[in-house]
Amino acid sequence: MGDAAQAQFDMIPSFLGAPVGDLEDLVPGQVAIAGYFCDNLDRPMAEQRYLARQLRYASRPGKVPVNGIDLGDVNVFPLEQDKHFSAVAAQCAAVLETGARMVLVGGDSSGLKALGSAARQVTGADVPVIGVTGGVAGNLSDNQPVILSVDLHELAGIWMSRPRRLAGLSPSQMIAQIDATPGDVIAAAIFGLAPALDNRGGTETRAALAILQALADRLEKGER
Amino acid sequence: MSNPQRRLITTGYAGLPFGALSQCEAGCVGVLGVPSEVNTGPRSGTSLAPDALRKMTGQLGIDLPANGRDLGNLDLSGDWSGALMQLVTQMVDQDIVPVVLGGATDVALAVLGALPDLPVVAAMPLARRDVAARPANTIWVGLNRGQSADVWDQISQRKMDWRTARQLDEGNSDTLDVPERAVLWIDISVIDLGHAAGSVGLNPGGMKPETLVSIIGAMSCRWQAIVITGLAPARDTRGMSELAAIETLNAALNNG
Repeated sequence: MGDAAQAQFDMIPSFLGAPVGDLEDLVPGQVAIAGYFCDNLDRPMAEQRYLARQLRYASRPGKVPVNGIDLGDVNVFPLEQDKHFSAVAAQCAAVLETGARMVLVGGDSSGLKALGSAARQVTGADVPVIGVTGGVAGNLSDNQPVILSVDLHELAGIWMSRPRRLAGLSPSQMIAQIDATPGDVIAAAIFGLAPALDNRGGTETRAALAILQALADRLEKGER
Repeated sequence: MSNPQRRLITTGYAGLPFGALSQCEAGCVGVLGVPSEVNTGPRSGTSLAPDALRKMTGQLGIDLPANGRDLGNLDLSGDWSGALMQLVTQMVDQDIVPVVLGGATDVALAVLGALPDLPVVAAMPLARRDVAARPANTIWVGLNRGQSADVWDQISQRKMDWRTARQLDEGNSDTLDVPERAVLWIDISVIDLGHAAGSVGLNPGGMKPETLVSIIGAMSCRWQAIVITGLAPARDTRGMSELAAIETLNAALNNG
């Protein structure tokens, strides 16, 4: 590859400016962030799959998560549902087996289901999913593995380029909920937003990026 | 064809079937679009509002909490104002709640003209002389900026109830004296420009859309007619103004 091509390649942004890596680069405690480009399987809404791309574009070198790594995108098979689910679950399990924590970014809530299946496979037990809008579950122990579900559909209309309802949470309320999530957050999914790809989408993309940053920070803390 | 696409073609506002007044039953609503356009001021676009509201309820799958018919849009050739007054009178006489989607202010004035003796709950930034002069007291919601002195004198002398946008946004609505039966007029210009830009009036410091929804939703009033005016959907590319109108209408029908 020539210098010019290499320079262009280096400019492809990563989630939160984190280094780009692969499965073999993962070590226990690391936060692996991966894009999930599938939005037609569970509560489908076109263009939710573009959230991962938009968040990479919006990421600026700044507060890079110390243990964060951009793992690329998980392989998806949106037109073959059974194959898709098992393939995504297997990829997520491979990440969790390294001892790394995982964040799936974008798409619909089907990624969360695959993540739950992978967590069960790795831990040998059902891992509770805590929603960011459901309030904080108070009876979880500090070392109870949990999966955090961040549905950006719950943001209030004022933050969205194409609002579907007026009421909802502000980004700061979501971030506070994420920070207060009890247990050992081993994985998370952030999904449910179809960001407008023009200037109108700037606000919601920045909001989602701030929430992703909070998510990475919470996963870095591990047990609470 | 997807379900939302099919719904857009076959149904009217908020999932209601299109139909005629003769198909409306007592206790139901009759939704009528009156796409009149503002003829003064630099901001226009109210003629697009009825169809934009239908489109958005279809896209979002929002249903009205009431049965009824969408009567389509009123033909604005000839004496449409007289025709509107006649339709509204007919509906109210048959215990059908007219839900009139304007359009400009003239739409609301025709609706109020058809029901001259009923009190009005008016959500608008500036109190109007003609509404304040009605025989029954008007309840003013979301007033903002300096009011005309003679209108304000009338409001004060007749001890009409009123709240400013700021008071309502700060939660001061508990003592509003709402009548049992009234006409509800929502001028979308009552909403702050920064929250929803799709109105013909510029209203910095106006109400938040959520406040409007919750204030109207908390009024236990048997609405005899509801009219929405001042919505200029093309000025709000995000659709917050349409959403505010739709949610306010649903809140009114939920409680009223």
